Amino acid sequence: MIPVAAGRTLFEKVWDSHEVARRGAQSLLYVDRHMVHEVTSPQAFEGLREGGRRVRRPDLTVATADHNVPTGGGPLRVVDGDSAAQLEALERNCAEFGVELFGMGHPGRGIVHVIGPQLGLPLPGSTIVCGDSHTATQGAFGALAFGIGTSEVEHVLATQTVWMDRPAPLEVRVDGSLRRGPAVAAKDVILSVIRMIGTAGGAGTIVEYRGSAISGMSVEQRMTVCNMSIEAGSRAGLVAPDEKTVEYLRGKRYAPDDIDAAAAGWLSELRTDGSAKFAKSFRLDAGAVAPQVSWGTSPGMTCDVTDAVPAPEEYGAGDPAAEESARAALRYMGLEPGTPITDVRLDRVFIGSCTNARLEDLRDAAGMVEGRSVAPGVRAMVVPGSQEVKREAEAEGLGAAFEKAGFEWRESGCSMCLGMNPDVLSAGERCASTSNRNFEGRQGAGGRTHLVSPVTAAAAAVAGRFVDAREWV
Amino acid sequence: MRGRAIKYERDNIDTDVIIPGAYLKVHDYDELGRHAMEGLDPRFRERAAAGGSIIVAGRNFGCGSSREHAPIALSRSGIRAVAALSFARIFYRNCVDGAFLLPVEIGGEAYAAISDGDELEIDTGAGTIAAAGKSYPTRPFSDIISRIIAAGGLFKAGLDG
Repeated sequence: MIPVAAGRTLFEKVWDSHEVARRGAQSLLYVDRHMVHEVTSPQAFEGLREGGRRVRRPDLTVATADHNVPTGGGPLRVVDGDSAAQLEALERNCAEFGVELFGMGHPGRGIVHVIGPQLGLPLPGSTIVCGDSHTATQGAFGALAFGIGTSEVEHVLATQTVWMDRPAPLEVRVDGSLRRGPAVAAKDVILSVIRMIGTAGGAGTIVEYRGSAISGMSVEQRMTVCNMSIEAGSRAGLVAPDEKTVEYLRGKRYAPDDIDAAAAGWLSELRTDGSAKFAKSFRLDAGAVAPQVSWGTSPGMTCDVTDAVPAPEEYGAGDPAAEESARAALRYMGLEPGTPITDVRLDRVFIGSCTNARLEDLRDAAGMVEGRSVAPGVRAMVVPGSQEVKREAEAEGLGAAFEKAGFEWRESGCSMCLGMNPDVLSAGERCASTSNRNFEGRQGAGGRTHLVSPVTAAAAAVAGRFVDAREWV
Repeated sequence: MRGRAIKYERDNIDTDVIIPGAYLKVHDYDELGRHAMEGLDPRFRERAAAGGSIIVAGRNFGCGSSREHAPIALSRSGIRAVAALSFARIFYRNCVDGAFLLPVEIGGEAYAAISDGDELEIDTGAGTIAAAGKSYPTRPFSDIISRIIAAGGLFKAGLDG
């Protein structure tokens, strides 16, 4: 018998309740839900086929097409042969192995981390995995949600389990209230967290986001925060469930029919015990958070919109490797130290991705563009996170508002977040993007990405340069 | 394992520079190999072709996406091991699960001592990396990871039962 420690953190409770075996530091975890997309699954299904295996629990597995999907208007047509082959492989694999697919043309299609919550897949206290690093998004429901590699996808398909070494619990406490919402957004909170703890600051951990600012957030805002846990080096992030979590899930397709009965257990058990210990703790004052803009090629290279581009020596603060990283980043980004962020002019604006393409994100952004127009010379696009988000946004008139202001209003998909479908930056183009990664070449070879919130992106589209959106609301 | 070091004194070498998103729909592994590291180092292929087979780098190597294309691309370009101060979890597991290459965690002393072009020897049994006649400890593999490496991949390790 393993003695039970006096106090456990939320993630440890979820972990322990899903551990079916242990070898040394590694646990074999049972997986409650497995989501699949077209990029990281073909070799996994091929492996099953070669090994003569079946999908053990097709009823717990859901697939969608998102990464390769073109988002242009009219009937979607995949003209890229390799993309078409990957999408067709997913259709074939799902049909052969009996996995439900929200594929091309399906009204339920969308970015995997956006449709999961819409379907009610990430339940509090459950485990959910996907061959995609941003699976952490779904930790917003108090689920243990993490990304896995393709071999692990095959392992989960075959066994409904995955081997993981036990991470340490990390606390990120955000207290206070966000000033001047929506101009200061959940995105600004998580970018501030990454700026504070560093892109490897969460290595080997699972973050629990706590504090009054997190409690005060909507479930969709919590998803934005959890989404970028991986950019802080953590494997996952999660938030304890509360009444908002329950209300979000109520009536969703895969949520329990008697959700109030389930909620009683979730709300009483799924929280960190008072006597539990975190391996590390960080604190952030929400009231001090300003709109963030990334200036470099790592999500930790971020400053306030009112700041200037830092000098490499300033960023490095005595660490030669960090200083050299900043120098290389500024070269790539074509920025000079000392340039005010609000002087940085833009060619493109992208509002979308699993970080920031849910209905509330689109409402916030649309609020900034009403009665205004996209600046001449700027190409701006809004890509809803799912077809359901698109329909809801159109029903509220948001799609029309964006189009009237000169934005392209597109079909759902991963789009410009990752440069593998037709939505890419050209070399040298500078983009304000609500996505999660500003790595070199992420949005297309030579493209320059600035990570921002939907409100900051929308204001930048109108101004043609970065502006402090707090002055506009 | 012996090989020549290709050293990048950088932290956070991410999977987008190891293999850009545009190639994630490519299933020809050799084609992936031809584009490895092309965003970061235009001379990478040349260096790998000239016998460089062990990448040495800083912290958080392989951060970013879960793409297994990243270790595949490195492996097909001739890389047999990455020796870094630390790794992002998914990349690390992808390396060993598919037996694409060996991820070895090294300490600050070894990182500082190894120069680009050095002949290195990694001894997984002894848990060391040797450069310029001096040997440094590497971080031991966990039990499960050792079994996966010894078996030649996750599905050969017999961990299912």
